[in-house]
Amino acid sequence: MGQQHLAGPVVTVALVEDHQVVVDGVRSWFAPPTPVELVAQGPTIESVRGTAADVLLLDLNLNGTMVVDRVAELCAGGQRVIVFSEHEEPEIVRRVLDAGASAFIGKGRATRESCLETILEVAADRPTVTPPMAQAIATDEGPHRPQLSDKERAALLYWFQSMSKASVAARMGIKERTVRQYIDRARVKYAAAGRPAPTKEKLLICAIQDGLVRPDEVTVYTSLAAQAPADRRE
Amino acid sequence: MTEEIEQVARRYARYTALGAVVIAGVWHLGYDLTVTLTGWSSFRWPWVALAAWVLYSAIFAVGALTLSRTSRGPGRILELALATLAVDVAVIVASRPEELLGISDWGWGSIGWIGVMLTWGRPRWRTEIIAFLSANAGIMLAAMAVAGALDRVSIAKYLVVIAGGVTMQLGYMAGCHLLRTRAEETVLLARKLAADDAWRESAQRIHADRLRRYEAIRDVAESLLTQLADGADPGDPRVREDCTAGAMRLRRLITEREDVPDELVSVLRERIDAAERRQVLVTAPPFGEHLPALPDGVREDLLRAPVRALDGARTRARVTVSAMSTMVSVAVVADNDDLPISPTPVHEASGVVVSYQRLGGEVWVNSIWQGPS
Repeated sequence: MGQQHLAGPVVTVALVEDHQVVVDGVRSWFAPPTPVELVAQGPTIESVRGTAADVLLLDLNLNGTMVVDRVAELCAGGQRVIVFSEHEEPEIVRRVLDAGASAFIGKGRATRESCLETILEVAADRPTVTPPMAQAIATDEGPHRPQLSDKERAALLYWFQSMSKASVAARMGIKERTVRQYIDRARVKYAAAGRPAPTKEKLLICAIQDGLVRPDEVTVYTSLAAQAPADRRE
Repeated sequence: MTEEIEQVARRYARYTALGAVVIAGVWHLGYDLTVTLTGWSSFRWPWVALAAWVLYSAIFAVGALTLSRTSRGPGRILELALATLAVDVAVIVASRPEELLGISDWGWGSIGWIGVMLTWGRPRWRTEIIAFLSANAGIMLAAMAVAGALDRVSIAKYLVVIAGGVTMQLGYMAGCHLLRTRAEETVLLARKLAADDAWRESAQRIHADRLRRYEAIRDVAESLLTQLADGADPGDPRVREDCTAGAMRLRRLITEREDVPDELVSVLRERIDAAERRQVLVTAPPFGEHLPALPDGVREDLLRAPVRALDGARTRARVTVSAMSTMVSVAVVADNDDLPISPTPVHEASGVVVSYQRLGGEVWVNSIWQGPS
């Protein structure tokens, strides 16, 4: 499901969420004329499995059980997964991104606009960075962390801690477009440095097509076609 | 309490070690020196015996010094042990063959105590002392064979002295080792109990604090539900805001996982609570569990400006903490209209840099500490 690029103007979404009030809220966000349609929802991963959807929106805590470990399995088939959770701790965000999730939306700060924007970007395989992701990527000190430039790291941290990308631009004395570029490049680098997953490959391909990075800047990506899965992580 | 127990254990180690020194010293002065001097004429080469006594004294001094300083034998003992065995051989050689098992051949009965001092408290003390005492017994047996003193009476005398010496020396070592081990076990147990107590106490404090906050939220929720039941309009922005605020506070309580919150986090939580009591809608993503240790004064400098922004928030605020092993960044975004802001970053003496920005009716205050990497 959801293997191809957007076929039409409407992005289809499946939602795994065990609280009806959240389901209702998300459904109201997707009400027409938004270009997003909720095609399936259920309280467990199994309840939406088999439904073709461009994006799977996944709550991490289902009936009291954290399903962090199942993200990799969902992404393995190329499904774009956006995690939608209040568990915004950087460690958890990094785990789901490493597993191949395309984005992480924090329930605490999510708005209709930001949520829709993230879904549309993810559906188009474009890099998207929500505030919890910015914090998780900027503070990664793991052995396989990407080599971020000082400006990329600062842009991520300020984006997480300020009110808007405009304020980050003012703080750094640069254009807002450049702030976006720093943040998006950091996201692409993070995808390239993590474990391989089909969803990350799509993101990297798009980033190259869009001219955000050059192919030779994504060393992991260029080696993907030639190397065995075990060799892909750097 | 734990400290007292640790002190007792340290004393055990120290005084049992000094006990070995005292025994060896008294033996060497009281017996070895006496028989060397009083039996001067019975030696074949009395000066050799005296030189051996002096060498023994030197090795004793080295051992005593180490034991008094560290309560354990010297780091390197092979040379000292060989020199001690040389004392044994020297006294044997200085004695007349017929005096081999007599009282003036003091070396073989005495050097065991030097062995005790040298191997005291070392990790492989059992193997080392047994090897040393066996070498001593072997040297004496070899000397008896050379002197032709392997008759029944000589062998019996030999066995009595060896058995007596070995029993005293090994017995003392084993007894003291047992005492020391028990004392150390007691210390470990005391430390564990103290750690458990501290953990339990802090967990109880946090639990009580959470219960208090749950109760506060329950009161808010109850009043909201009563308002709704009494016909309050769910579409009313004020009611919706109150519901959102309650949900935020509940969410924060749910995601708090740490057993012992960092001091910086505790201060922020306290100020967030205070802001919420003033009906300020506060969002604060989880603060994380791994904040680095901060040098003196850094925490205060990190908190001062953001807390002031939070305390003056009119209706809403967002509090964030980002941390790495050598960096902590605290930020508050709030609709605080009165906060005086500096157009340029403020550098505190502690190294904390505070930046201010006002944009679209909100102020963003961000203090960052970068430690040495």
